[in-house]
Amino acid sequence: MSGKEFFVDRYRQLGWEFADVQPRQAIRINSVNSKGKNLEERLRAIGVTLEKIPFLETGYWVRSSKVSVGATAEYLLGLYSIQEAAAQIPATLFSGLRGKTVLDACAAPGGKTLQLADLMGNTGVLVALDVKKGRLVALSNHLERCHVSNAVVYGMDARQVSRLKLKFDGILLDVPCSGNFVGERDWFKRRTLADVRRNAKLQREILTEAVECLRDDGELVYSTCSLEPEENEVNMDWAVKHLGLQIEEVDCYGKKGLTAVFGSQLDVTVERCRRIWPGETQGFFVCKLKKAVNTQ
Amino acid sequence: MKAVVRFAFQLGAKIVLNADFVVDKAGRYFLLSEALQKVARKDFYYVGTYLGKVKNGKFFPSFNLLAMLARGEANKIVVEKKAAWLFICGRDVFRKGVMAVRGSRKKGDHTLVLNEFGECLGFGKIIGSLDEAAKRSELVVRNVSDIGDFLRRES
Repeated sequence: MSGKEFFVDRYRQLGWEFADVQPRQAIRINSVNSKGKNLEERLRAIGVTLEKIPFLETGYWVRSSKVSVGATAEYLLGLYSIQEAAAQIPATLFSGLRGKTVLDACAAPGGKTLQLADLMGNTGVLVALDVKKGRLVALSNHLERCHVSNAVVYGMDARQVSRLKLKFDGILLDVPCSGNFVGERDWFKRRTLADVRRNAKLQREILTEAVECLRDDGELVYSTCSLEPEENEVNMDWAVKHLGLQIEEVDCYGKKGLTAVFGSQLDVTVERCRRIWPGETQGFFVCKLKKAVNTQ
Repeated sequence: MKAVVRFAFQLGAKIVLNADFVVDKAGRYFLLSEALQKVARKDFYYVGTYLGKVKNGKFFPSFNLLAMLARGEANKIVVEKKAAWLFICGRDVFRKGVMAVRGSRKKGDHTLVLNEFGECLGFGKIIGSLDEAAKRSELVVRNVSDIGDFLRRES
């Protein structure tokens, strides 16, 4: 159960016709650092032309560039970050992050951590974890580059987060996943359904632990860059049925989550998730959850 | 923490740090906010604002610390666009690239290097005359550390 034909057929069954795509390069302006700096004009002056991404407040496509956008003075000064467009969506789904206690449970290399810090206005506490200690160096460099001052980073498995004895107002679970063919060369050759199932199991373990640390009125955002429903809609259906979570309505880019997956009918609220098939962006999935209110 | 204060002094700057909010983690210094100070455990990898590290008895400031110092009184030179670009590529500063000088002009002193927007690009050591009458082709500030380092760390 692997190979391009196998996966492409699955996507067809889910309603998407496979197409080879080349996502556009995107950046995200760090609002705190670039306030009053007319960044767009500065970048234009060095040969970088931007185009606003319609579904993101601080996201821009790089329309053309005479220089590497990862090596400008403005980048090195932390005025913007390079971040794929769809990957910019999850952090924007939280409501009001300033002064809050927030967890980024699978943080490295740190694109979303920087975005959360920016949305928090460098206030409150942002806890960032990653299990791979080697990746913490890159994360720390980004925190320094972007002058983030409200974060604490631990080399820790997200499945052990309750050891921190903290309750969070917001939890971002951008969980380890199977990825998708857009961002990974030879993806179809390297991935099997067994990998997908193994990742789905790990994701459920992370979700279970995260819920333990979520405040009763807290918000949890779950995201993957996988196209496989086992890691997305099926896991959200499981979270609703087993973890006492409810899926929140979101107003963001993407199609409704699938509620019929390979013959199985999922909870109707799973359609509140957002599934992004590859196109201008990479493939992506995002869902906002809260603890279910007991009405009895 | 003394290393941080001593470094600021070398740049003609003063920094007041509350010892309760500064953490020394194996020679790496971090400044914590009040909120972080309440929750951060000792086994962190990174926390708050990274100030710099001491290695082999020498202090290496972070770019956060340099930016903090640049906001106050300190030795600074402001350089024009091309000199700014060359500086972050690791090059030294020629007199002709210097637009303004604040604080010390004394050879041997350290100075922050700012771009035309007043943003700190790093710091260097004064090695030539910063006077306006000096030869335009004279090397005046030797690059000690610049933000291009973020790219060098990746390679």
